[in-house]
Amino acid sequence: MSTDGNNTTEGGSQAAAPASPRPYWIGVGLMAMGAVWLYAGFGLPQGARYAAVGPGLFVTLAGAGLLVLGAILVLQIWRGESFEAQDAEDADGATKMDKRAFLTALVAVALPIGTMGPLGMPFTATLSFMLVANAFGSRRWWLDLICGLVLACAAWFLFKQLGLQLGRFFPPLGV
Amino acid sequence: METFELLLHGFSVALQPTNLMWALVGSVLGTAIGILPGIGPALTIALLLPVTTALAPTSAFIMFAGILYGAMYGGSTTSILLNTPGEAGSMMTALEGNKMARAGRGAAALATAAIGSFVAGTIATLALTFAAPAVAELAFYFKPTDYFAITALAFCSVAVVMGTSRTRGFVSLFLGIAIGVIGIDTMTGQPRLTFGNMQLLRGIALTVVLVSLFAVGEILYVASRYRSTPGVMAPIKGQLWMTKQDFARSWKPWLRGTAIGFPMGALPGSGSEIPTMLSYTLERKLTKHPEEFGKGAIEGVAGPEAANNAAAAGILVPLLTLGLPTSATAAVLLAAFQNYGLQPGPFLFTSNPALIWGLIASLYVGNVMLLVLNLPLVGIWVQLLRIPRPQLYAGILVFAMIGVWGLAGSWMDLTIMLVVGLAGYVMRVYDFPIAPVLIGLILGPMAETQLRTALAAGQGNPMVLVSTPLSAILLTLAVLLLALPILLKRLRANA
Repeated sequence: MSTDGNNTTEGGSQAAAPASPRPYWIGVGLMAMGAVWLYAGFGLPQGARYAAVGPGLFVTLAGAGLLVLGAILVLQIWRGESFEAQDAEDADGATKMDKRAFLTALVAVALPIGTMGPLGMPFTATLSFMLVANAFGSRRWWLDLICGLVLACAAWFLFKQLGLQLGRFFPPLGV
Repeated sequence: METFELLLHGFSVALQPTNLMWALVGSVLGTAIGILPGIGPALTIALLLPVTTALAPTSAFIMFAGILYGAMYGGSTTSILLNTPGEAGSMMTALEGNKMARAGRGAAALATAAIGSFVAGTIATLALTFAAPAVAELAFYFKPTDYFAITALAFCSVAVVMGTSRTRGFVSLFLGIAIGVIGIDTMTGQPRLTFGNMQLLRGIALTVVLVSLFAVGEILYVASRYRSTPGVMAPIKGQLWMTKQDFARSWKPWLRGTAIGFPMGALPGSGSEIPTMLSYTLERKLTKHPEEFGKGAIEGVAGPEAANNAAAAGILVPLLTLGLPTSATAAVLLAAFQNYGLQPGPFLFTSNPALIWGLIASLYVGNVMLLVLNLPLVGIWVQLLRIPRPQLYAGILVFAMIGVWGLAGSWMDLTIMLVVGLAGYVMRVYDFPIAPVLIGLILGPMAETQLRTALAAGQGNPMVLVSTPLSAILLTLAVLLLALPILLKRLRANA
């Protein structure tokens, strides 16, 4: 954590932060989520026969909390609260977002929803492996294919041994 | 002396060859993931949770403890040699440690970090040995009211202390609590927020959320802001380990770091960042070589590293005695206990002493292993950093999806992985803390059960929540905590 990050909480118009300076949508999103929880909470019994508190109370509290926090966040953003991207070991918070890399990695994460069941874990993992490696700038796809395939197959057999239910190896062929 | 006998019994468990092997596996894995970027102890243990179906609980927890301690050792290595602190706890180490390494004293910095970690780890484990049974004894008398007050205090401190602002800390916490209410209500059997979906009835598993936030969120984030210029590693070949003078300057910071780290680690929310920061500040004030600070003072490595490891032992006190997790890693350890149908707390000390004392004894053993693994072999460990980043992050995603898919083979879990992973990305971009989500997720249902039990016993009168002295004090503290950020800001400004 940089110490100068803390001094700029007010009027944070410090050097072009890569994040959009006024992320109102986060606050609004939180309020929307809070509203859903609040609505669900009111639909549940608030009190139970012997217990004073029913299953609805905590849901209501969570919803109300999110709603209030979302509103506070919107207010803070309006007042100019600054948001600085975190630094990670291999990432620089101050650089601009690489949209292509982000979307490639996102596809790798979304892919399993569709392919894990019908095409099996090793196939899906190999494909995701290649996509993430590509997102990080690897251009030797055949090498990634081999690495991914070896890792996915090894992991499949190893975790199978440990008793994990990973499904069939390659369902289209029935193995 | 009863504790001593129990500990001896624990050693007889920990020194069984299979358990020694699991301690070694844990230590090796822990050191490796401490050195590798993008993967930390909480994520590793979460990904290994499935093995709990195949392993006896004692062996599994001995391995997990090795990972917890090992990650602390491994984290210091990259901080010192590469100036890339893997987690908040090694940030202070990088400050002086990397300066030392660049001045050709990397070997001495690594040595004081490893030996300091060993000294602190051993003393803190000793403190754990005697503090844990005492706290457990007290906890026998806790009522649901007290437990609710403890969780409320934990909520407040986690939200206030972690992260850049109170609002963002509480947002993270409430996200976790909100996710935690999804599924069947355990007390009445009512489905909550399942939207008619059968797969949501069993709730959202901690593993799914943790893996998504820590692995998927990190991969998306690093991919979008990848810094491909590799760090320059400071050489350590042919350097002397610690000299007599280094030793003389290190031993007091080690002890002071331990004294700060252990109790701070036991407090919710303080994690390893605050104790290391405090230790660094203290050493800079007490040093006889103030001119060296900022240029590579050995005290600035010795103290924080000791505090870091002592804090790791400290988190085990509330976890084992109260079932109260105070960090992300502790939350996933609690999930591991729950996988076995075990509830950490005072009763576990009487019902399963072999597990508790075997685990505590294995911490002593693991510390010795880690010292041996890390000090002479550090040259081998840093070779891990040669793994090219594209393939490393791709591999992390493969393990993440296995961890999520292997839980129940459900596409719903994979969808949650995508959504929560995206949320993890957004949280990194806009600087929201991650750990409070996990604390909220695992402590929320506990707080709810205790609140409802307490209120049912008090026939619905909310005054029952402050009816015991302890609960009244704890809830007052929780409210006072909201003023803490101002104090913390001062501390950070001084550091």
